[in-house]
This record gives sequence, C-alpha cells and structure tokens, in this order.
Amino acid sequence: MTSPLAAPTAQPTVARLSVHGLEVRYGEALAVAGVDLEVAAGTAVAVLGANGAGKSSLAAAIVGAVPVARGRVHIDGTDVTAWAAHRVARLGIAFVPEGRGIFPHLSVADNLRALLRAAVEPAERADALGRALSTFPVLRDRARQLAGTLSGGEQQMLALARVLAAPPRLLVADEMSLGLAPKLVDLVFESLARAKAQGVTILLVEQYVDRALELADTAVVLRQGRVDWHGPSTEAREHAVSGYLGGG
Amino acid sequence: MLIFLVAGLVAGCVYAVAAVGLVLTYSSSRIFNFAHGEIAFFVAITFHWLAFSHGMNRFLAGAIAAFVVSPLIGLGLWAGLFRKLTHAPPAVRLVATVGLFVAIGPLSRIVFGTEQIQDLRGLGPYPHHNYSWLGVPLDSDQIIVLVTTILLAVALVLLLRYTAFGLSVRATVDAPSLASTAGINVAVVSAGSWMIGTTLAGISGIMLAPLRGYLDSQFTFLILGAFAGVVIARMHSLPLAFAGSLLVGVVQNLIRWKPIEDVINHVVNRDSVWVRGLQPSLPFLIMLAFLVCYRGLGRERFVVDNRRGTEEPDLLADAAPEADVAAVDPARGPSPSADATTVGRWRRLARTPPGGLVFLAAAWLFLPLWLHGSRALWLGLAGKGLCVAIIALSYTVVAGEGGLISLCQITFAGIGGLLVGQLVVNNNMSVLAATALAVVIVVPIGLLAALPSLRLGDLYVALATLAFAELVQNTWFQLDGISNFGSGVPVPRPKIGPIAFGGDTAFFRLVLIVFVLVAIVVRNMQRSTTGLTLAATRSSEVASATMGISIVRAKLVAFGLSAAIAALGGAFYVQYARVAQPIEFLWPFGLVWLAIVVTWGVRSPTAALLAGTLYAVTPDVFSSLLHLQGKWLEVPGLMFGLGALGLAREPRGALVQIREGRRGKQRRRSAKRDQRTAAVA
Repeated sequence: MTSPLAAPTAQPTVARLSVHGLEVRYGEALAVAGVDLEVAAGTAVAVLGANGAGKSSLAAAIVGAVPVARGRVHIDGTDVTAWAAHRVARLGIAFVPEGRGIFPHLSVADNLRALLRAAVEPAERADALGRALSTFPVLRDRARQLAGTLSGGEQQMLALARVLAAPPRLLVADEMSLGLAPKLVDLVFESLARAKAQGVTILLVEQYVDRALELADTAVVLRQGRVDWHGPSTEAREHAVSGYLGGG
Repeated sequence: MLIFLVAGLVAGCVYAVAAVGLVLTYSSSRIFNFAHGEIAFFVAITFHWLAFSHGMNRFLAGAIAAFVVSPLIGLGLWAGLFRKLTHAPPAVRLVATVGLFVAIGPLSRIVFGTEQIQDLRGLGPYPHHNYSWLGVPLDSDQIIVLVTTILLAVALVLLLRYTAFGLSVRATVDAPSLASTAGINVAVVSAGSWMIGTTLAGISGIMLAPLRGYLDSQFTFLILGAFAGVVIARMHSLPLAFAGSLLVGVVQNLIRWKPIEDVINHVVNRDSVWVRGLQPSLPFLIMLAFLVCYRGLGRERFVVDNRRGTEEPDLLADAAPEADVAAVDPARGPSPSADATTVGRWRRLARTPPGGLVFLAAAWLFLPLWLHGSRALWLGLAGKGLCVAIIALSYTVVAGEGGLISLCQITFAGIGGLLVGQLVVNNNMSVLAATALAVVIVVPIGLLAALPSLRLGDLYVALATLAFAELVQNTWFQLDGISNFGSGVPVPRPKIGPIAFGGDTAFFRLVLIVFVLVAIVVRNMQRSTTGLTLAATRSSEVASATMGISIVRAKLVAFGLSAAIAALGGAFYVQYARVAQPIEFLWPFGLVWLAIVVTWGVRSPTAALLAGTLYAVTPDVFSSLLHLQGKWLEVPGLMFGLGALGLAREPRGALVQIREGRRGKQRRRSAKRDQRTAAVA
C-alpha cells in the first residue's frame, strides 16, 4: 500500500491554471454553467459574485473536491479534471476552503504537519514546520493546543501559516476573510499579498470586493454559475457591484 | 476483590481491543460495523481450524489468522462494500452491516462445518498453565490477553502518534474533505483503517475463544461489551473506548464480589432471574446510562451535527420532500458540497414504489385451495409468514417512515406474544382480548425504549434498542412463569362467536385479513399528516424544527405505532405456534427479519409480505423440497444476509429494482415499436 501522504512531485515553482467550459451539478441543479478562466503563473485572480453565484463550487471543482460534470481543468497543461483531490494537492496546489480549513481535533503542530507534508519534501519538513510556527508567534505558544479551541482569527492564522511557510504553486482561497474582525481581515490580505510577492499564483474567492480587487490583477464576476464579466481588476468594481445587486 | 478485578480486566481487555477496532473503522468511514463480533468469530474459527484441525503451530496459526486473514477480510469488505457506502444514508450503512452480521455466521458454518467446537484451546498451552500473582490465580490464556492488549495499545499509540499513516488517519477522521485537499489519500487511509479494525476484531476473537468457547453466541457477548465501550467513547475517542471497555469488564465482574453480591441479595433474591440477568446485561445498562447522560449534556448531538455540517453532508436520510421540491424549483439544489450522483441516487430511496399488495393479498387468499392434503405443511408456513409479515410492517413504519433503525422490534413482538400467553393462562382471557390488551401494553414500553436515544441520532437509536432487547432477553424472557421452564405457555387459536380459527386454513385467512388491515393503516399513515411530518423530519431535522415540527414527537409516534404493530404480529405468531416461547423472539432473529425486509424495500408493505413469507418458507424449501442437509441448510441465512448487503447497490430494495427493470424493458419495447412504425411509414 502506498503511503497516504506521499511526498510531492517535483514541479516548477509557479503554476498556470486554465479552466474551459467547467460545469458543476448537484443532482438537477446546475451550480457552475460553463465557466472559462485563465490564471497566468504568478498572478492573482479574484472571483466575485453574489451568494449562490457558483464561486465556491468553481473553487472546489478546480481542486478536485467536487466532481466536474463537464469541461476541463488544466494546471500547467496537465489535465487534472478527473483527478482526486489528493492528487491535485500533490501538484503543489493549496486549497483553503470556506470556513477555516483546519483539523479541529488535531493540535496546532499536527495541523501544520498534516497540511505541510504533501507540500514539502521530507528533508525540509522540520524547517517548514519551524517557519510556519514562527510566522505567527501565537501559533508557537499554542502548538500543543487543539486547533478547534483557537479563536476564529487564530484558526485563520493557522491556515495562512501553512501557505506562507511553504508557498504553494497555486493557492485557491475560498472566503478566507469570512466572519473575521476587520483587523484580522487586514492580516489575511497582508498575508495573501506576501504570498503573491513570493510568486504564488492565487485564485481568490471573496466577498470583500475592494480588498480582493486591490490584491488581484484580474477579476471574474460570476452570475448564476456563468461568467458575467472578466477583465482587469481596476475596471471590475462596477461590474462586481452590479453582480451582487443583480443576484446570483 | 482483586480476583474479580483482574478477571474483569481480562474481559475488559478483550472488549477494549474490539472496541478500538470499531472506533477506528467508524471514524474513518462513518460505518458502525455491527458484524465486528461475527468477524471476530470467523477469525477465531479460522485459527482453530488451522491450529487444531490441521496441526499447524498455534502461534503461526494465530499470526496467519490475525495478520493475514483478518486484514484481508477488512480490505475485502472495504473494497467490495463499505467504500460504496460512505455517502449512503446512515440507515443504509447500518443495515448493510446488519446484513453482514446475518451472513457471516452461516458462512463460517458452511466453510468450517456445523459441528460445534467444544474445546477451550487458544494460543496458550493446553491444559492451561496456572500462575498466581498477588494471590490472584491467572491462567496462561488470561496472561496472553493482558500482555497482548498492552502490546497492542502501545503499538497503536506509536502508530497513530508518530507515523505518517497515523497522522493521515487522525486528519481523515477529523475532516475527510480537508484531508483530501491537503494531499491525503483518504481511500487508502480508510482501507488501512478497515484492515487494522478487522485485525483487532480477529485478535479479540482469538483471545476470547479459549476463555468463553468457540460459540458465536459468546462472540455476540463480546460485541455487546465492546459496543458499551464505543458509546462511552462517543464513537470517536480511542483512549476513551479503551478505558470504557475496561470499565465495563471490571464492573461486570465486580458485581460477583461478595460484599456487592450481599447488597444485591439484600435488595432482591440473589437467585432471582433479575440478578442472574444483570451480569450479561450490564454492558447495555452502562451503555444506556451513558446515553442518558450524553443526552442530558447534549454533547453527542453537537458532535454528530458538527460533523454533518462541516464534512461531506450526510446526504442521507432520504429526503423525499426535498427531492420533490428541488424537482419543481430549479433554483433550489442540495448543499453545494454534495456529490451529485450520490445525492440523486440516495434520495430516490424515499419514493415509495406502488405496491402490488392488492394482487398479492388476493393471490394469498386462494392459497388454501392449492395448499391442502400433502401440501398442508406449506399453508401452515405461509400462515407463519403472514405473522412475521405483520411484524415486518413495524419495520416499514419505524425504519421506512421514521428513518430509525430499531433493533428491538422482535422484542416488542415477543413481549406482545408472551403477554398473550400469560393473559390467556393466568387471567382466563380470550385470546383476541388478550391480543388487544397486549398491544396496548406494549405501546408505552416501545416509547420508553426509544426515549433515551431519539435525540442522539440514528446510530444511537440502533444501539439503545439493541440494549433494550438484550435487557429484556436476559431478564423478563428468563422468568420461569414466562418461559414455563423452557417448554412455553400454551396459547389457543382464536374464536369469534361461533367461528373458530383453530385449523390452519381458517387461521391463515384470519391472519391475512389482519395483515391487510395493518397494511392499509400503514399506507394511510404514509399519506397522512403524520407521514408527511416524518418525511420532513427524515429530510432535514433542522428545517423541520424551524417549521414548528416536534421531531421527538414525530419519532415517538413512529415508534409507538411500530411497537403496537410488532406486538400484534407477535401475538398472532404465538397463536400460529400454539405456544408462547421466549426463544422465538431473540434479537439475532430480529436482525434476520430486518435484513430480509430491507432487501425487498423497507417502505413497502408488499416487501413486508414477501419478507415474512420468505423467512418462514425458505428453510423448508431447502430441507423438504430440495432435500439438502447439514451445512447447506445454512444457505438461506447466508442469502438473507447477502440480500441486505445488496443495499449498497440499490438502497430502495429489490422490489423497486424489479419494477424499474420491467419499466425499462417496456420502454425499450415501445421505442422499438415506434421505430418500426416509423420505418414502415
């Protein structure tokens, strides 16, 4: 039996993401209806839209967390459409799902070990863990504490620490600022900006339109599972707001 | 006291090893394996077969049975069955393992023969070597149990704490979706957990056999102790499961310590059946105590709901109304993280197939015209089948409508039937009046059995009802007055005015009428406000509660009605047999009934009729018609169990499959006809 936590395969440092005609269905309901999307290596794309527009489903489908009904997902030209989520992750793709993206009944240190194992070569794991714990000092203080007992902000720091300690090739972040106090939202976006500066390709699903557009190079506005508008982030605000007001 | 403490620790160690295996498999796949004890039995028999029937070195035989056969069983079960059930409704997951429970016993008898193994040889030398430690006598097999358990505990701690696989297991148990997106192959983790879980079951079986004998009833006893440990652990904490199981073993043995015995004796007669039944029932009493305690704390509910909310949504619970709403309202869909194909498939479970009940009942009415003379035996069996079919209708209500897997329907039937015997013999009551009174008495008993677990979720309902069945079986069923010293209480067949139903034909027609009436009641209930309420509750308890539906009340209605129906069926069952005997109503038989009912379709009265008839008739088809003997008579039991395993493929049952197959053929035929017509035109 192969180890469930096999080491990551050697890959170039940043990834390019291409999505063509992606559809996601839940039974009869069509959540994502033929989305095309390009994220160039080292850039950030914000995915905006009202609740129910299909943003989270799009993000989950890209990383293999929900099945793709139709269409294709390519990462650096490799077709990963039918891949299981763990195989996609081993390409160096990090996914921070809506909520907190942590293991609540594991200690902080074990969370980082589990999250980093697929992202880092065995020889570098101890260093990566040390870097992750020192990214946010509060995590080092609470290394043995169960992650579920951390505050919401600390839990998000834990999710971010993994990203900053071992920058992934592509980060798919779904509503990382959801439910956080304004100061912690600042911290999240500062951390994402650091990750981007390190060359991480980012697909950012966000409801904080202004903050997301500050970070992103381009933006995509979804409405009822379809791309309503896409273009440079500097021109996206008006379309994004109309997307929200226009409903999902 | 030390003697009882050590004896308790030995028993507790066996429970603990089994319980840890159960928690591990449940945590990694959310499937609670009711067949864990049967797997232990199968592995123990394999060990005995290798070591003592084929002369293999007993340690080598133990190693092969524990570390080759057991993990292969786990891998096979995971790959062939449980992998497909991870997203199934809890009821389907539970019943599939009940099917496994039903199938493994007959399978082991087919493979290894039906002769019962009498010796008590195990891994240790035989005759046992006896030792003394602090004045406590210990034999070699008990020492092996203690040492093996300690070694296993240390090995498991090292595996789970300090290895990559252990970290993967803990992460997967905590949040499978996140584990998957973090690069963990959750399928490998789940398969590995099943292999470890069944290995632990196998080891507990090999350890238990020399202490209690190679009898499958003893392995049921093992699993009861382990279940208590698992409930104490709230299904997920391995250390608590271990400690809880030790506690169960110790308490079970400490009540035989003289000071405690004296206290008990002071309150009730030590030789009374209530005291004799106490020890085997203790695991369940402890389990019930913890269930009530967790219910009071509201703790378990939190754990279960939290998992559903954050993980793969339990798409379960068949959600009929929701599925219908989604069909008419395209804007509405299921939870975004639900697996598309799985949702549609499982939700179809709720749609009741139109039954051929009228046709079948009419056909049954004419059976006596054919089954007479040399075929009279079959009419009697068909009558028995109708009695079981009435009891099976109680599953239609509680499991089909209420969405609750009750494992004590046979106990309600038993209480009903045995009460009829008592009322007729002791109170000179007419058998029909006794039947009516027994039904009325059983309803509050049913409600009482359901109350401790209703708020705690599906799995706990199954465990609590099993606890209730075991408790009644070990106590009330054992009363000499109830069992009439093992020979049963004679029960006459009914008489209404001048019409006597003493003959098989008349009794058959009477029971057929009763079955049809109960089926009509069940059908009406399915279409009534109560049925709608239960459907809404099955669909979403949270949404139902926000609509003002009392979930507990809805489930209690299902439970009360099902208890009444089961009691009615039990009352007619003893009238069919002309004797009321507790041995007819032991809960393992109830699991067989449940397995057959769900195989055909748990929401259909037609399926209940077929299930009852098959249960009554199939063994005689094998023995009398096919003239099969010996181990081949185990085939019906195996078939019944395997049928329930088929739920993994079609949770709505065989009737729906047959009906859809027929419709598919009709559609294809009509399409071909249209094509031909078009070609001619």
